[in-house]
Amino acid sequence: MSDPDRIVQSFFGDFGGRYVAEVLRAPLDELEVEFITAMQDQEFLRLYRNLLRDFVGRPTPLLYAENTSREIGGADIYIKLEGLAATGAHKINNALGQGLLAKRMGKGRVIAETGAGQHGVATAAVCAKLGIPCRVYMGEVDVRRQRPNVFSMELYGAEVVPVKTGSKTLKDAVNEALRDWASSFQDTHYLLGSALGPSPFPDMVREFQSVIGRELIEQTQERGIVPDAMVACVGGGSNAIGFFAPLLERREIRMIGVEAGGRGSATGDHAVRMEGGGRLGIVQGYKSMFLLDSDGQVQDTHSVSAGLDYPGIGPQLAYLGASGRVEFTRASDQEALDALRVFARNEGVIFALESAHAGAQVLKTAKELGPGKTVIVNMSGRGDKDIFITAKELTPQTWKDFMQREVQEIEAKEKQS
Amino acid sequence: MTHLMAHMIPYFPDYPTSLEAARALIDAGVSFLEIQFPFSDPTADGPTIEAACTTALAQGFSVDRGFEFVKALAGRGPEIVIMTYASLVISRGVDRFCRDAAAAGASGVIVPDLPVDSDEGLWNAAEKAGLTVIPVIVPTTSEERLQKIAGVNPRYIYCALRTGITGTRTELGAENLAFLDRAGRTGAKILAGFGIQSPEQVRTLKGHVHGAIVGSALVRVISQAASPEACYESLLGVAQELVRA
Ligand SMILES: Cc1ncc(COP(=O)(O)O)c(C=O)c1O
Repeated sequence: MSDPDRIVQSFFGDFGGRYVAEVLRAPLDELEVEFITAMQDQEFLRLYRNLLRDFVGRPTPLLYAENTSREIGGADIYIKLEGLAATGAHKINNALGQGLLAKRMGKGRVIAETGAGQHGVATAAVCAKLGIPCRVYMGEVDVRRQRPNVFSMELYGAEVVPVKTGSKTLKDAVNEALRDWASSFQDTHYLLGSALGPSPFPDMVREFQSVIGRELIEQTQERGIVPDAMVACVGGGSNAIGFFAPLLERREIRMIGVEAGGRGSATGDHAVRMEGGGRLGIVQGYKSMFLLDSDGQVQDTHSVSAGLDYPGIGPQLAYLGASGRVEFTRASDQEALDALRVFARNEGVIFALESAHAGAQVLKTAKELGPGKTVIVNMSGRGDKDIFITAKELTPQTWKDFMQREVQEIEAKEKQS
Repeated sequence: MTHLMAHMIPYFPDYPTSLEAARALIDAGVSFLEIQFPFSDPTADGPTIEAACTTALAQGFSVDRGFEFVKALAGRGPEIVIMTYASLVISRGVDRFCRDAAAAGASGVIVPDLPVDSDEGLWNAAEKAGLTVIPVIVPTTSEERLQKIAGVNPRYIYCALRTGITGTRTELGAENLAFLDRAGRTGAKILAGFGIQSPEQVRTLKGHVHGAIVGSALVRVISQAASPEACYESLLGVAQELVRA
C-alpha cells in the first residue's frame, strides 16, 4: 500500500493507517483530498512560504558549536536552531500549514491538543494571525506544570480546556480533541500537533515540518558541510521526521532518534517505545509502537520534558526504526539536564528540555565519530518555556526564595487594593 | 416488538455490583447484553462511559476476567455482544480474541476502530469462530461507504443516531429515522443507539429498528446505586420500562 512518491502514504510498511470509528472516516477522507489539492496549489504554497518567512522568522540558523566540539575533541557539532522560530519551537511550522489549510477548507473553528503547551501556543498564535477561533485541550496535570504556556495561549485569545480524564496528560488531550471533532468536524479542523494519529495526519505533519530538513540541505551545501550523522529527540516524532525526511535518501548519513529515558526502565518511569520497550498496537487511530500492558491498555509514562512523555510514536518513525534506517537511543532526565547546562555555558544557547535529550546524545555521538566528522543536532525548541522546571531542578533553593518573594509581592498588592 | 440491547461494563463500579447489574438486565428481559471491555483510551465514548471504564480498570478488570464475566452470563437469555477497542483485540491477537469470545458464549463483537477495510482480519477471524461482527455507522456515512459495509453482509448494523460520542441525549426526528431506513435497506437488522434514555424514545424507534441500544443512561443508574442489591432493584425497574416500551 505504501508508495514513497505519494505525498499521502497512509501506511509505512505495517505502520500507520486510519483505524477510526466510522464517524471520523468522512472528515479524514475529506482532509486527505483537501491537503493533496492544497499542496499543488501555487497560491497556497506561496502564502505558506511568505508567512514562514515573515511570521515564523525562517530560515532558522545553523550554528557551529565550536566550543563544545573543541572540548569534546570529536566530530564537529552543528545545531539547527529551530527553537528560534516564533513561539519557541518547531511546532509552528505545522500549525501554520494546517491553519492555512483550515482556512482554505472554510472551517470556522480550530481545535488542538497540547502536552508541554508548545503546540498549543503555536496553534493559538497562528489562529490569532489568521483570525480563527481556537480551543486547546490540555491535560490538567500539564496545565498545572506548564502555566506560562497556558498564559500565552490565553493571551493569544485561545480557550484552554483542562482535560480531567485518564492520566490527565497529552494522550488524554488527544482523546478529548478526537471526541470534540467527532461531533464538530463539519465546521471545525482538528489541528493535530505531531506526526501521529490517523492518516493523513502523519503525512501532513511531515510535509509541513520538512522545511527544517530542506533548509538544512541548503545551509550545509552553502557552507560546504557534509553531515555524517543527525540527531533529534522523538516525542510523537514531528521535529525528527521533519529534520530527517528530506535527507533520508542520503544513506551515508546516520540518523539517530532519542527517546525519553526518564528516571529508569520501570513501567511509568520513561517513554521508550522503540528499543524493545513498546509493543505493536492500534491506539488513537493508527498502528505503531506503543507502551502497552499485555492486555493492550496504555501505560503511564514519565519524562522531565512534558513534550516527550507520550506513549506512542509516529508510524513513519516506527517504520524507519524497524527497517534500521533510523537508530533509536534514549537519554535520561539527568542526562538531558546535564546537556542543557553544557550548551548554555559553551554556546550561549538554552535548549528546550525535549531538545536537550538530543543534545545529550549528540555529545556521545560526537565523541564516538571522532575528529574530521560532522554531526548535526536539531534543537527543536528553546528553553525559555521550561524555566519553572529547570530552575527548580538545577538551583532549587534560589528558585524557592524567588517564588516566595513573588507570592509575597502579589499578596501585598492584593492587600493594598 | 423492539428488542432492547443493554450496555454495561464489568467491574463497574466494582465486580459484585456489575454482576448484579447484569442479573437485573437479564431478569428485565433484555434481548442483548452489550458488554464493554474497558480500554484506557476510549475515544468514541463520552464522559459517563469513559469514567466508568477508568473505574473498572482500577477495580481490576482484565481481558481474561472479562471473558470469565461473559461466561458467567452466557445461556441465561440475552445474546451477548462484546464491545471494545482495537488495542485489546490486537494485543491478544485477533484470532485468539474471537476464539475466546466465542468460547465464553458471546455471539458477536463491536470494535468501532476496526471498521470495514481496516479490520485487521477481524471479519475472517470472527466468521471462523462463529461470531458476528457488528459494524457501527453514523448519519454522515456516505452511501458509497454504506454499500461497502453492506458488502460484508453484516447480520446487524449498529446505527449511531447522531455524530459525536456516547452520552448526551439525541433528539429523534424525521432525519434520524430516514437514516435508519436507509441503513435497513442493506438487509441487515438495525440496532440504533447513542442518547437513548427513555421508553418514549424507544417507542419512536419502533418499526424502524430491530433493537434499541441503551448505554450511558443505564451506566448512570448503576453508578448511582449505593449497594449491589440497590443496583439490582433500581436497574431492574428502569430496564423493565425500556423493555416494555
Ligand atoms: C521543543 C519540543 N521538542 C519536541 C517535542 C516533541 O514532539 P515531536 O516529537 O513531535 O517533535 C515537543 C512537544 O511538545 C517540543 O515542544
